[in-house]
Amino acid sequence: MKEADYKELKKGGMMRQREAGHFSVRLHVVGGQMTTGQLCAIREAADRFGKGTVHLTTRQGMEIPSVPTESLASLKEFLSDSGVGVGVCGPTVRTVTACQGCRICPSGAIDSPALADAVDREFYGKPVPHKFKVGISGCANNCMKAEENDIGIKGWIGPAWNKEGCTFCGVCEAVCPTKIVKVSEDDGRVSVDLAGCIGCGDCIEACPTGAMEEETRGCQIFAGGKFGRVPSLGKRILGVLRSGEEAIAAIRAAVDFFRIHGKPRERFGDTLRRTGFEALENHMTERMGKSA
Amino acid sequence: MTPMLDITRDVCPMTFVKVKMGLSKMTTSEHLEVRLKEEALKNVISSLKSEGHKIVRVEKQGEIFHMVIEKSETRSSTA
Ligand code: SF4
Ligand code: SF4
Ligand code: SF4
Repeated sequence: MKEADYKELKKGGMMRQREAGHFSVRLHVVGGQMTTGQLCAIREAADRFGKGTVHLTTRQGMEIPSVPTESLASLKEFLSDSGVGVGVCGPTVRTVTACQGCRICPSGAIDSPALADAVDREFYGKPVPHKFKVGISGCANNCMKAEENDIGIKGWIGPAWNKEGCTFCGVCEAVCPTKIVKVSEDDGRVSVDLAGCIGCGDCIEACPTGAMEEETRGCQIFAGGKFGRVPSLGKRILGVLRSGEEAIAAIRAAVDFFRIHGKPRERFGDTLRRTGFEALENHMTERMGKSA
Repeated sequence: MTPMLDITRDVCPMTFVKVKMGLSKMTTSEHLEVRLKEEALKNVISSLKSEGHKIVRVEKQGEIFHMVIEKSETRSSTA
């Protein structure tokens, strides 16, 4: 097989294996969700075309290793008949990861799998200058490690203080993990330095009187994170996004920015370090303003 | 006199388990005073709220919080 053919196969999620003439076949998984029907089909496929094993990847993906070259076409056909997509590799938008979100997890602020589905539908496998990963955490607990992704999303529950009913008990100040709440009975006020707020909602949940109220619910967005050889964490950009549609519009604008400014084989974070994060924020604000 | 429960030496989830046991021995609208540390505040208060009990008062004294709880009609069993 020619090198060019291997490249072509790799783009379609068939990765050359160390053992000559064999491939590890990447499957299309969205937000870590699979139906039992899909799992049964994957099991059968791994038995029939591979060596009866499946590999779980670090980003909620699945691969069937040890598939001989001559079986690739029939494996692909079998999978597609069973409703299982084949994955992607190369300079494309990759697997969208997500936690279980607010439909399952009591801490969840947003429906992470639903947002993952929407992101996947619009961007999965689409070309970009370099691989591009999106990860979605349903709340500030951040189980999906938003900052490790080119674009990370994290649920947000933000507070507002109401003088009515406040007894200046000090609970909100005590529970705030970033120590930005200050209760001052003498001044008759509780101040929240929102610039340092991580949107965990703890002060709201713990306030015994309801004086600390939920003001914003939605998500926050992080750009330019990655792992690999030289890891770097994504930076928070923009304010709180109030809906799934707003989050999608933000991702659309970010992908667009990457296509305009990214060099081939340059990760998004490196592009941003070149252009400055403000350039991205300006672009996004402009695009999102137009689309709204 | 209001019964007093000290959970300053306990950690989650024993903190709330003890509060729940304390409340289970009382009748509706009786008060229970609990002494607890900062670490236990969020879980104990959010659990009390979700079970429908009323937090009458919270005061901070040095490192320790004093909380007075009014038992409500229990929504969930004490089992
Ligand atoms: S990130 Fe939040 S919502 Fe998602 S699984 Fe973790 S705790 Fe639950
Ligand atoms: S926890 Fe609630 S009642 Fe207590 S000081 Fe904060 S806002 Fe006021
Ligand atoms: S939401 Fe969390 S970080 Fe923000 S003020 Fe409240 S406790 Fe602090």
